[in-house]
Amino acid sequence: MNTRKQNHRPGKKSTDRRGFLKGAAAAGAGVALSPYLGKVGLAGASTPPAVGDAVNPFGVAEGSTVDAAIFSGGYQHDYVEFAAEIFEEVHPGTTVNVSPLTLVAQELQPRFVGGNPPDLIDNSGAGSMGINTIFEQLEDLTDVIDAPNLEGVPIRDTLYPGVLSPGTFGDRFVAVNYVFTIYGVWYSGSLFEQHGWTPPTNWDEAIALGAAAQEEGLYLFTWGMEAATYYQTFLIDSAIKEGGDEVRLALANLEEGCWSHPAVQGAFTAMKTVVDEGYMQPGGAGTQFVQAQAQWTLDQTALMYPSGSWIENEMKETTAEGFEMRGVPEWSVTTDSAMSETALRAAAGEPFIVPSGGANVAGAKELLRIMLSEESATYFLREKLAPTIVSGLVPEDGFGSTALVSQTEMLEAANGEYFNHEFVQFYGTNQEQLPIWNSFLSGDKSVEELTSDLQAITDRVREDDSITKVTFE
Amino acid sequence: MTATIANPVPGGRKRRAARDGRPGRKLTFDNVSFMVVFLGLPVTVFAVFVLWPFAQAAYFALTNWSGFSPDYDVIGLDNFGDLWSDQLFRRAVRNNVILAVVVPLATIVIALTFATIMTIGGSSHGQLRGIRGSSFYRVVSFFPYVVPAIVIGLIWSKIYDPTSGLLNGTLTKLGLDQFEAFAWLGKQSTARWAVIFVIMWGFVGFYMVLFIAAIKGIPAELYDAARIDGCGRARMTFSVTIPMIRDAVQTAYIYLGIFALDAFVYVQAMTPTGGPENSTLTISQRLFRTAFTEGKFGYASAMGVVLAAVTLLFAGLVFTVSWLTGGRDKRSKA
Repeated sequence: MNTRKQNHRPGKKSTDRRGFLKGAAAAGAGVALSPYLGKVGLAGASTPPAVGDAVNPFGVAEGSTVDAAIFSGGYQHDYVEFAAEIFEEVHPGTTVNVSPLTLVAQELQPRFVGGNPPDLIDNSGAGSMGINTIFEQLEDLTDVIDAPNLEGVPIRDTLYPGVLSPGTFGDRFVAVNYVFTIYGVWYSGSLFEQHGWTPPTNWDEAIALGAAAQEEGLYLFTWGMEAATYYQTFLIDSAIKEGGDEVRLALANLEEGCWSHPAVQGAFTAMKTVVDEGYMQPGGAGTQFVQAQAQWTLDQTALMYPSGSWIENEMKETTAEGFEMRGVPEWSVTTDSAMSETALRAAAGEPFIVPSGGANVAGAKELLRIMLSEESATYFLREKLAPTIVSGLVPEDGFGSTALVSQTEMLEAANGEYFNHEFVQFYGTNQEQLPIWNSFLSGDKSVEELTSDLQAITDRVREDDSITKVTFE
Repeated sequence: MTATIANPVPGGRKRRAARDGRPGRKLTFDNVSFMVVFLGLPVTVFAVFVLWPFAQAAYFALTNWSGFSPDYDVIGLDNFGDLWSDQLFRRAVRNNVILAVVVPLATIVIALTFATIMTIGGSSHGQLRGIRGSSFYRVVSFFPYVVPAIVIGLIWSKIYDPTSGLLNGTLTKLGLDQFEAFAWLGKQSTARWAVIFVIMWGFVGFYMVLFIAAIKGIPAELYDAARIDGCGRARMTFSVTIPMIRDAVQTAYIYLGIFALDAFVYVQAMTPTGGPENSTLTISQRLFRTAFTEGKFGYASAMGVVLAAVTLLFAGLVFTVSWLTGGRDKRSKA
């Protein structure tokens, strides 16, 4: 492993240098250089490729180079390097350069403008590019899903249901969301056992649990300022479970008055009770979010935390000994909800995209195909303790992770009743919504004010003709 | 120079003087290479890395460029029209104006006070001097300026932390229980002032040293004369020190003001979300977000142009105020 990694280094350096030159060319300073650079990019493609066979379904050219720019956040980027090694074994003579990114939009923007983007991009993290801004420049990836994996099974048949929807906008499938993220409310199994508490299944139970926690001098929830909208996500999901697809589509398609839907209002009102009763750990609006999360995992002054399943990995270093993290599906407002108790917001995340303008589109698709094969997906599962969209690979013991086992159980219990929504991410409104939620969770805003503030953002986006809209289904 | 040499000299020597006096006219290798290195190079660097980006930004402000594709349309002044009705942007401008008024004023008052104490605040007998140990204080108060701004921002965001921060820890230890879990950066009433305090904390030391240097440059006779005339320290400050260093104060005011109109690093470190109800949102933060997360580089460039205009306006305003309040007398005397 290690020696192989080092072998990658010289290649990596040369990409950086080329990337720099390309950037310079894009800035107009090196116009004279660009024909030369163009030739470098084309050198590999001149060999006639064998298209369409099972070994090389996309016709990766011999001796070609794949340039993969991978967001290196909570999941790092070693799992792509792992797939890259397999790539180079399957296609001798080829080179895959995996370069880590932190601020995706800033680092790649000049390359998109210059017309020489990387072949494969993991467009993730706080600095990711809004998909609607580059939508037209992306390759349709349906053929990757229809290709066989390295074991010979069509990739489509190995995936969890519904995982392709987050990458599908209108009629085009442009992003393979590699990691399967489950949204839940997480808690310490050992702490709950010790007090004889059971995790709530609706808001009435949640409020009762908040009262029980208060007697112990504890809080039901905590929040951090950059992550205040985790509660927006939570309450939207809660409302969707309560009211069904009608609620989800009204919100996602930016309908007038969508935030006033009874199910949404029910969730907001319940949350307002939690805030007013003092079940929130105070001070969240001034607390950095990882610090706040540590109040739950380390200090254990707060009982539960709504988040995606990345939370275990994110807090790995700051979780109390014997915490036994487990999760329950985000609960609905009442027991009389449109979706069943086990219904789950499960969404594929970490969008991998392939720009049509990349020098080696076939190579990028091939790398994705390898990542979706058993060996790479298992590597990810074992190293990151989070499932990929490839199903059926989690062992009984979850590689020693209670949260991973808990996720698998939730997925199985949901039995395909998954839902998801992408509109906040798609329209990039999260930043604008954060201050509103910080105020609401601090107790400084009524449900009416919260509703009208959120509606104002929705209305503004809807009325702004310069924003590309899609119809969510 | 040449004129003063040439004029009084009559007749035959004039020709020679003109030749000697204007060596620059001759294009020898020395002269040309000197010009290239000391004039051509800096001007080129300035043009390529300062003027050209300015021009580009001004041009992109007139387009709907997304920033991620080579295509865009020129849409005239629409972006500026949109800015005018953009509530969030107006909020950011207002916040920046508050920063540009408060930060320089408060920083300079404090820095000047400290500088005065350390230069003329000492014993009133014998030679004029600062308080005891002033050189020690001078060094210590310079420390924050040595720490990078981002680090200052992060350190203070921890100090302000509601439950585990140093500030609330100290206050509650002192028996002030109302500060238990008080969110300094999360309350609309305190967030802005908490941020302003940190910026000042970072700058006071530097401007104090600057003012001390300026005060040391004032001839000691002036103070001696003032003292003989019976001036107290306060009178000495207002009638001797401040008039004598007004150029330094003016420069400090403009520097601090330009900084406060940006303030990106501090706010991004302490209130990356724009603060409670956007009360600490700055133009630069809004610009950054518009460009990179919303993918509207044309619109963001328009914000940049407005920010540049506001900055120039601010500098102009400071010069005008300084001129009106007596700077012009000094100029005409000199």
